[in-house]
Amino acid sequence: MRRRVTMVAVVAAALCLVLLWQPGMVRVSAQLSTPPEERYASPLEVLLSPDGARLYVLCQGADEVRVLDAATGRVLRTISVGHLPRGFSFSPDGARLFVVNSWDDTVTVIDTQSGRVKATWAAGFEPSSVVEDRPGKLLYVADRIGNNVTVLDAATGEEKTTLAAGRGASYLTMSADGSRLYATHVYPNATPHRTPPKSEITIIDPAQARVVGRMMLPDIAGVFHVALSRDGRLGVAAELHPKNLVPMAHVEHGWVFGNTLTVFGADVGRSVEVPLDELDRYYALPFGVAITPDKSRIYVTHGGSDCVTVIDTKKMLAYIRAHPEPFAEDLSASANYVEARVAVGKNPRGLVLSRDGGRLFVANRLDDTISVLSTRENRVTQTIKLVGPDKVSPLRRGEQTFYAAKYAFQGHFGCSNCHIDSTFDGLQWDLEPDGFGKDIVDNRLLEDLRGTEPFKWNGGNPSIAIECGPRTEMYFWRSQTFDDLTLADLVLYIRHLPLRPNRWRAADGALTPAQERGRAIFHRTVDKLGQPIPEGNRCAYCHSGPKGTNQKSFDVGTGKWTDNSGVLDTPQLMNVALTAPYLHDGSAKSLEEIWTVYNPHDRHGRTNDLTKDELNDLIEYLRTR
Amino acid sequence: MRWLTTGAVVVCALLLVALVYGLPPQPDRPAGGSNQRQAETVPVIFTAAPVYVSLAALHGEERFPEGAQLMVLRGGQTRLLVLGFAATADASVSFDAQTVLFAGKKNAGDPWEIWEVSAEGGAPQLVLRGTTDLIRPLWMPDGRMVLARRERDGFALEAVGLDGSGAVRLSYLPGNFVPDDVLRDGRVLFESGFPLGSGATPEMFLVYADGSGVESVRCDHGAAREHGRQMVSGDIVFAHGERLARFTSALAEEAAVAAPAGEYAGDVAEMPDGRWLVAARKPGAKHFGLGAWKPGAAAVTVIVQDAERDLIEPVVVVPRAVPNRHPSGLHDWTVGNLLALDARLSRSGALAEEPAAVRAEALGGDGKVVALGTTPVEKDGSFFVQAAGDRPLRFILLDAAGHTLREEHGWFWVRRGEQRICVGCHTGPERAPENRVPQVLLRTTTPADMTGGAAGAATAGGR
Repeated sequence: MRRRVTMVAVVAAALCLVLLWQPGMVRVSAQLSTPPEERYASPLEVLLSPDGARLYVLCQGADEVRVLDAATGRVLRTISVGHLPRGFSFSPDGARLFVVNSWDDTVTVIDTQSGRVKATWAAGFEPSSVVEDRPGKLLYVADRIGNNVTVLDAATGEEKTTLAAGRGASYLTMSADGSRLYATHVYPNATPHRTPPKSEITIIDPAQARVVGRMMLPDIAGVFHVALSRDGRLGVAAELHPKNLVPMAHVEHGWVFGNTLTVFGADVGRSVEVPLDELDRYYALPFGVAITPDKSRIYVTHGGSDCVTVIDTKKMLAYIRAHPEPFAEDLSASANYVEARVAVGKNPRGLVLSRDGGRLFVANRLDDTISVLSTRENRVTQTIKLVGPDKVSPLRRGEQTFYAAKYAFQGHFGCSNCHIDSTFDGLQWDLEPDGFGKDIVDNRLLEDLRGTEPFKWNGGNPSIAIECGPRTEMYFWRSQTFDDLTLADLVLYIRHLPLRPNRWRAADGALTPAQERGRAIFHRTVDKLGQPIPEGNRCAYCHSGPKGTNQKSFDVGTGKWTDNSGVLDTPQLMNVALTAPYLHDGSAKSLEEIWTVYNPHDRHGRTNDLTKDELNDLIEYLRTR
Repeated sequence: MRWLTTGAVVVCALLLVALVYGLPPQPDRPAGGSNQRQAETVPVIFTAAPVYVSLAALHGEERFPEGAQLMVLRGGQTRLLVLGFAATADASVSFDAQTVLFAGKKNAGDPWEIWEVSAEGGAPQLVLRGTTDLIRPLWMPDGRMVLARRERDGFALEAVGLDGSGAVRLSYLPGNFVPDDVLRDGRVLFESGFPLGSGATPEMFLVYADGSGVESVRCDHGAAREHGRQMVSGDIVFAHGERLARFTSALAEEAAVAAPAGEYAGDVAEMPDGRWLVAARKPGAKHFGLGAWKPGAAAVTVIVQDAERDLIEPVVVVPRAVPNRHPSGLHDWTVGNLLALDARLSRSGALAEEPAAVRAEALGGDGKVVALGTTPVEKDGSFFVQAAGDRPLRFILLDAAGHTLREEHGWFWVRRGEQRICVGCHTGPERAPENRVPQVLLRTTTPADMTGGAAGAATAGGR
């Protein structure tokens, strides 16, 4: 008996060892159950006080603004703000600091003298950037989800008006003379199906609180910081130029993304797209831009490549003048104006120059440091470590992997190129393994993915580990990629991306009358003619459960001639209002088009008996999901 | 006292000459010996050969007609790396610096075969037996190597496991293809004639470790380029005629290397302190010696030279970064799909008129050209064809009357199961694609059949 027990114990121990030994999947599941909750600083943006003595750091992960001695890096003050702050700026007189909190939809107003929060004002949906006008009367807030710029009374926070911007309005910059406000957007504006994306720089007259221009950016999808020279004659915006319409057969030769700048203003005479990449090396996710006071240099942070590009402005302008034809696709162009590439910390984002232009401060979001560069020497002279956890948790490592471009062939792009700030990009891609021109797929939102498996529009991938593992290595990166542990961390990070607050659903869950009517349509079993709707043709059948998917695949008649199969995975509905266009290939520009254009035979649910108003009600309900 | 002063002046003058002119004149030495000038802190392995014909392999001929021996310079002493071989050459140090692959002939009548020896020396082990010559082995990731195997049509590129398993041919044209380096991005840098395989001018090319994606490193063709290696910076340094030149990531054309006057044999090795180990000889000198050159310095410092032999192919015995493995995405097909985004684009300039069609041709085993078919070119210059994999191909653009508008310089290949897209016809690696759906894909997703009957096993199903 004792011998049997011993043998059982030995076998059990051996089994345990085998289980522990399994790489990848076993570790992934073990980690999933206990995600660490380290609170990293995650510095996203930096500002210098008007006298240049203090460095203000927007710590997105800690929901704080930290005030540092700009010379020593010593922390002078820590100020708590709202959740997931994304942008901040001083009032023109420097007396107030405005912080926008993207998940709270608020603006925190801080008295810079005392460091105290003086007010918290309501803003639009996902406020991401904030600027006060020169007279100090109006506060402009870019709302990423709202796709607009909300104008608040700078004294009271009262909403004065809302200006329609482009999609994903996220970054605002005021010209030095205060006469123009420029807004950039992280998502592209809607364009016809399978045509190049287009973004815009919305130009606002702050004196009139009016949009006075829209600078169209053809071929551009995501635009980040925009900077203006002190004399107002040169503007520069950092942006992504995707190649989503070309089959992604390989990666070399700038096949998947171009990392570029749009340069505009009187010095240029037009808006020109200027490439930053090289033939064999890429500078992924250009984010922050700064122009020196004398306009001689432009600095660009690359969130995916962990470096700063230094551009000789004079050479760049000379090159632009000498090349009247577009040269955005010329990977050898950057050699004519790029002066240096300076390595900094992980995921560099916001940057600020000292008043004399001699020092450049760069916020490295994913290693909690600030790099201080000497602009005369083009090298990092100081690295300020922000207070935070010393240990890098698996979740944090996963996030670092998500934003790193180094895993793709020649460092071309990373997960976050298509999943901007861990969301989506509003684009449709032509992936290679399905065939050229076949199975065009809309990019889906990465939030709260647990319980939405399988993945891919054809439901072909049962888990994120498979989606992000060999398949990604073979068909996306086209290069040796993650080891098991790195993959486990990445999967952990993706699986724990939280669902952002739904802006259309009341806090108490109560529905408006229109939403209630839409809910009834969603759940109805009988059509308006009194005919029973077969179970499989009811909205609530496929889009069932808390996440709006029964995790099964169906042919609902939305397949196109370019698809290998019409059988498609049922997508989840959480925050569906954000993710236009719709359907697997992004052919429906709006929720309404799903039914009015792409459901002629009621195969995608019984909807042809509904009136326009009833479809609107259905949309109102879906927005609450 | 006077003779002391005179001596000092002479020494200074000699030093000055050495600094200004680089390698000093070759001293007379007994045959077979080597004259070491400066002790190096890291071991260096090199090939010593009475006669070195650097481009011979590109003509299918013997590079070392009078034999060669691998030598190791360690701790100030030079000695044979392996004993008892009729000939040894082509050392490649493993990424951990523990093991050296080399080509060797145990007996004079043997073909070149691939051997392995500890970097410390000792008894070599046969790695890959050859019935024909196997030369220029280079370490690849995952315990594999790439080499050149002599075949009926010349030296072919092959990737193979060290145990001989999993051999994959990487070149599919007649001609000679000789590996130079494995780049950190995982691609194999090789040299061949330009146009690929058939031309007389040595040029440098790239191919993935599964034979797909073959292309020129740069398209500023014309110069004779050979024996390239990638440096830590990522630059590829090679011999351009007698000089050194480099490809950098930023430039579409080669850039000159401002090395001191002399003739350089390529195969530059980089030492841990950043100096380059070069095989060089003064103008008019008979043999290459090995020297160290700090980029930017005015002179090459002699490390070792031999009055009777060329000292070439230096490698440094230090650990180095393992290149990325290439995850092959080849489909299980007998054919390959080729999409041109805009055939009108070319470094050769604008076409005389719009192309109406494209004709594909293959090169038969008998050397005869085989027409594979003609398909329309769309208004935007795009076309989409399916062609037999692993055989020589080329495209010819035709006008509406069927006359040739432009034809490719030479042949290339597409691997079985490869799907490949070109921006244009010979646009160069500096040209990224425009973001638009090629018109041909708006009309059809089925490629025009130009397989010459090999399309039976083709499929384009998802994976």
